[in-house]
Amino acid sequence: MSDGDTSGASAAPSASMPAPGGVVALAAYGVTKRFPGVVANDEVDFELREGEVHTLLGENGAGKSTLAALLCGLYQPDVGHIERSGQPVRLRSPREGLARGIGMVHQHFRLVERFTVAENVVLGDPAQPALLRRADIEARVAEIGERFGLPVDPRARISSLTVGQRQRVEIVKVLYRGAEVLLLDEPTAVLTPQEAEALFTTVRAMTAEGKAVVFISHKLGEVMAVSDRVTVMRGGRVTGEVAAAATSARELAELMVGRPIEAEVRRGSGAGGGGGDVEPPGLEAVGVRLVEGRGGAGGQTLLDGIDLAVRPGEVVGVAGVAGNGQRELAAVLAGITAPSAGRVRVAGTDVTGRGARAARGAGLAFVPEDRLGTGLVPGLSLTDNMLLTRRRGFLVNRRAARREMATAIQEFEIKTPGTEAAARVLSGGNAQKVLLARELAGLGADGGPRAIIVASPTRGLDIGAAEMVRGLLHEARQRGGAVLIISEDLDEVRSLADRMVVLYRGRVALEGSTDELTLEEIGLAMAGVASDDDGAGAEAAAGADSGEPAVST
Amino acid sequence: MRLRLERRLEQRWWHAVAAPVGAVVAALVVGAVFLAVEGFSPFTVYRELFKASFTSAFGITDSLAIATPLVVTGLAAAVAFRMNLFNIGAEGQLYAGAIGGAWAGLALGPHLPAPLAVAAVLAASVVGGLVWALPVAVFKAWFGTSEIITSLMLTFVALYLMRYLIFGSRSYWRDPEATNFPQGRKIADAAELPQFGSYRTGWGLVVVVVVAVAVWALIRYTSAGFDMNVVGTSPEAARYAGISTVRVVLMGLLLSGALGGLAGGIEVAGRAHALDPNGLELGLGFTGIVVAALARYNPFAILLVAAFLGGLRNAGVALQTLPGDRVPVEVSLMLQGAILLFAIGAEIFVRHRLRLVRSGLGPAAGAQSSTPAEPVEQAGVVA
Repeated sequence: MSDGDTSGASAAPSASMPAPGGVVALAAYGVTKRFPGVVANDEVDFELREGEVHTLLGENGAGKSTLAALLCGLYQPDVGHIERSGQPVRLRSPREGLARGIGMVHQHFRLVERFTVAENVVLGDPAQPALLRRADIEARVAEIGERFGLPVDPRARISSLTVGQRQRVEIVKVLYRGAEVLLLDEPTAVLTPQEAEALFTTVRAMTAEGKAVVFISHKLGEVMAVSDRVTVMRGGRVTGEVAAAATSARELAELMVGRPIEAEVRRGSGAGGGGGDVEPPGLEAVGVRLVEGRGGAGGQTLLDGIDLAVRPGEVVGVAGVAGNGQRELAAVLAGITAPSAGRVRVAGTDVTGRGARAARGAGLAFVPEDRLGTGLVPGLSLTDNMLLTRRRGFLVNRRAARREMATAIQEFEIKTPGTEAAARVLSGGNAQKVLLARELAGLGADGGPRAIIVASPTRGLDIGAAEMVRGLLHEARQRGGAVLIISEDLDEVRSLADRMVVLYRGRVALEGSTDELTLEEIGLAMAGVASDDDGAGAEAAAGADSGEPAVST
Repeated sequence: MRLRLERRLEQRWWHAVAAPVGAVVAALVVGAVFLAVEGFSPFTVYRELFKASFTSAFGITDSLAIATPLVVTGLAAAVAFRMNLFNIGAEGQLYAGAIGGAWAGLALGPHLPAPLAVAAVLAASVVGGLVWALPVAVFKAWFGTSEIITSLMLTFVALYLMRYLIFGSRSYWRDPEATNFPQGRKIADAAELPQFGSYRTGWGLVVVVVVAVAVWALIRYTSAGFDMNVVGTSPEAARYAGISTVRVVLMGLLLSGALGGLAGGIEVAGRAHALDPNGLELGLGFTGIVVAALARYNPFAILLVAAFLGGLRNAGVALQTLPGDRVPVEVSLMLQGAILLFAIGAEIFVRHRLRLVRSGLGPAAGAQSSTPAEPVEQAGVVA
């Protein structure tokens, strides 16, 4: 108990920012939080005023989520302290945080699927009497929903709700418990553009009532659209605090990265089917159906008549809200899951139901969404991970793999102690580079991959690594590879793909050239509204502005 | 001041050695308490134990004689366990191997020259082990049935089958001339593994060392071994890379069973020279689990650990002959059990370390009740 006070005293209110009106609702002064090997937060100061939206902006690993966890009581700071309405507080748990009006909405929902909305809202609420008064609860849930633009049916079971609706339940849950300060951790990651816009309306309704919102994001466009103030973090430190009205997306990006941003790789006109129509598509799905369960009897239909062709030299992007069949489509195309009906061809070879090895043999490369654990084996060395998808005889050829890995480390600037280091020590960006190096090797050469499936290629990567990955995919396309990108991040798909396919409930809801599709069309298709039916579209898009939401990178 | 368990950022080679050594030391300490309670001097007992097993030529070779089958049962457990396939039925596979090996020694032994006869015994014992592991492997690979249950239950089937063949029936394996007490029929002389002079250990030791090296090479250099490593550490990655999990699980469990059976063949050819339930029911298969765990599934470490545990077993018998106070033979078994418990417990310290956390760091540092349940930033990342 020696230096606790000094650290508090050293943390004067931020000098870079003239204090605007409003009482400080929640603040962190000089907080440091260490995990083994990492300083996640390093003497961070943060102030949130009543009635404002204060965004925490930063790349993955910058320390945003750790700071949010400290502010809501999930973690306790090693050094420094938290203040609530000017009073130093020690929050030992999220429940203590909530008792002081601080509520966090996590990126991953914490709802019980079989319970109703109202039941989930009061689940674990210490203020509830032993016998629940259901009608009262349901009335209050409905009232909160109405007040803040969060329409939910209190009696609906969570299992019947969409992702966007589930998020509303999470927000209602903290509001019900009387939260005056809300922390939203990457809330738009799972939403369609229209749903995101509706969320922003809710956020404005909350701040209008004097509530304060911490909004965590790495998407510059929406940050500019929703924030009053922005605190930018990098490497666990605060690198800047600015008023949203007085800054630009570009300035924020430079604060995030710590250097001027180079022009990103633009989608140019690549080989674009330069092989002509004579050459078969690099990757082709014809009438692919997938029904849940063994033998396809009676289960849920996960994929329903998917037709898809990716030509050599073309990048096709598959967009959609999470859980609409993207994961299953990737598994079927890669030969991991056999479809219930339909054919899958890789460079003209029919590989339907013949397994992942056959698909790879026909020239398919696959970079799954989960890099460590699915794409790479965490416990094995980088050399052995290189060997994983290589053709192997009776003996393994480690020498060749080691040489290949050593070359890749140099070429892709992979940060690792060496070729024999276990894959588990790699950061997300470096793991992705190792995977791409392995999967793209020999592209364009005889026997090299002809088609590449990449799931969420830049998710979780810092801007530098993301640029490199974009460059690699661009190059793969230039060299005649058929590239299929599957991602829930619409911005990512739009910036990479020549052509787009939107999945909704296992069907292709929309297909077209990326340049010709408007964001609104895509959003409606993601929400399951047929784009050729304008009347129905407008109805379902209630809450969505007609103009394009400000999403740009 | 509080203790906190943290993940190690770096694992150094000596962590892997320190953990099992620490486990042995801890087990000896616990054993000392029991000995003291029983009125024995722990120091005397441990000294005698060491003297009996590791100082004289006869002591060492007797220890190695017990170590010989332990190497193979240890390997049997190790190849399966490192794939997270818990074949705990090497005991049963050993009996099945002994039945097969003894049959070959009786039926083929008299007609073959010595090296071939021995090879026939060992090959037949491998077949016996394979047969016994086959149901375990098939049900695991295709239906996901717990191999722990099936392999353990089959152990009892093998045990009672072996007893039936000798005690319960006039089978081919039973010695028709043994009138007083039922015994196994002695295999042909040519089918016996030769011994080193008058010592109780012999060529079986050479065989098991070769097998250990072969298993190591298989894991390290062959595609089959590579696939087994991948499936063991990350089944999901194996599936995505197109490695057939069914094939690799079958392979792993069958290899494990074959090694278990081989242990039976080595016992029959090297020591028992007959299907002898009394001489074979030593728990060698179960002890193999201790060997594998203490060796952290490393084939070369298994050689050392088997020698050590063989000595412990050997000393258990030797301790009975101590003048004056008769130390129960169970002491060595108790130590063996304690070693397994501590070895499993010590595993966590290879990956983790204990750290003293001072509670004076900051206002909230003392309030933290546990390690972070879900570290937000990936720990152990090379920046």
